[in-house]
Amino acid sequence: MAESDDTPVLTAPAAPAAGGWARLGRTLAVGVFALVVGLYLGIGASGLRGGHPEPPAQDSVEVGFAQDMSVHHSQAVEMSAMALTNATDPAVRTLAYDVLTTQQGQWGTMQGWLAVWDRPLQAAGEPMTWMRATEDSAGTAAGMTEHAAMPPGSAIQGPRMPGMATTSELDTLRRTTGPAFDTLYLQLLLRHHQGGLPMARYAAANATEQVVTTLARQIADTQQAESTTMQQLLTAHGAAPLPMN
Amino acid sequence: MIGAAVVIIALIGAIAYNLVPKISERTEAQKYVPSADNPDPSAVIDGVEKIDYPAGTHVQAPQRVAYDQTPPMGGPHDQYWATCTGTVYSEPIRSENAVHSLEHGAVWITYDPQKVTGDEVSTLEAKVDGQPYTLMSPYPGLPSPISVQSWGHRLALDDSEDDRLAQFITALRRNPNTHPEAGATCSTTPGSFDPSAPPPFDASAPGPDAVPMTVGQQSAPAAPATGSNLGPGNG
Repeated sequence: MAESDDTPVLTAPAAPAAGGWARLGRTLAVGVFALVVGLYLGIGASGLRGGHPEPPAQDSVEVGFAQDMSVHHSQAVEMSAMALTNATDPAVRTLAYDVLTTQQGQWGTMQGWLAVWDRPLQAAGEPMTWMRATEDSAGTAAGMTEHAAMPPGSAIQGPRMPGMATTSELDTLRRTTGPAFDTLYLQLLLRHHQGGLPMARYAAANATEQVVTTLARQIADTQQAESTTMQQLLTAHGAAPLPMN
Repeated sequence: MIGAAVVIIALIGAIAYNLVPKISERTEAQKYVPSADNPDPSAVIDGVEKIDYPAGTHVQAPQRVAYDQTPPMGGPHDQYWATCTGTVYSEPIRSENAVHSLEHGAVWITYDPQKVTGDEVSTLEAKVDGQPYTLMSPYPGLPSPISVQSWGHRLALDDSEDDRLAQFITALRRNPNTHPEAGATCSTTPGSFDPSAPPPFDASAPGPDAVPMTVGQQSAPAAPATGSNLGPGNG
């Protein structure tokens, strides 16, 4: 109490004219401060659309995951559509139907997010750059750098993501018939599933939108489980898995 | 008083320092990215030709379509779309198949095989191979060395390194505002369209039995809704 009583004493010696300038200065400073606060609030509010919060940024984990996993999924759907017609083993055809319907459904979900967020449905640049943003996150950076490292100055259209089949592998699959088809499909899809795991795990660990972390975790879990199934089917077909590309 | 002035200037400076680079950076990066506020960014790309086509009716090979543009960029098309999962065709393909791929949101790069060869073709291939919703094929008799198409849009180019090619792709590939069939696939199933043995290009003029482009010029304001009566394709 005694200290607060001292405070006016400290300012009292100021001359009346100087006090007027100080008041004017303080008033101006307060006015500008209010203007700044108002401006920032206004900028913040402009991001709200119909009461919804600002959507994930263009370079966010959420947008990157939705765009790149959509591309990854669409190739699994493409290969599984071939298997639905061409596989000989009913167990392989059933797996193909499961993968085709599940991943097409998830593709639609992710594309729906992108539409709601007003973000491009397909990225134009190199893939998986969103996985470099926070490399200190648990157990995810290693899987990413191993596969996604690419030479600087690479073409604007980046290289394939891990697990993706090449054009010639897809051509070969398209031309293969009989039990050999089953084996090649299982090999390519197993590598494809495993190649998508680092992306799914990274998004599950680093995304902040709950719908994204939930789907990413489910993708990681089911692709892990289906990979075990495919390894067993490959063994039953007397074939070995392909190394990761 | 001087202190107050310094505070004011510092505050204004801080605002400018924070906002100006962010705004200009975002503006440049977002220039070619489609969004609700910028539904067709190709409008700012030099040289893009644009025609509004409604969803097209389907024909069955060998039925042809009397396209009004070279290469075509919309209109009736074959029931089978050309595989466009980052597909590079070394031989010219049937336009009726490629137009169906455009309807699904793909970008189709064509080049004159007489004028574009070797490294130039490789440069283009690198932008296509493995890139979903993208296909490329030679097109004999092309009016320009290179031409890139998306549904209702085309850009003629002389050089495979032209920046506008990437801008066109960013602006239009799978842009839900510029093609009729959002969500449609680019992959094909066995027995439909075989990308290893695609139906060949037909250089001859379409005959009198070709399906006309009656739905091709519906952008005329006088008749905005007639196209819908013809029924869009569902493939």
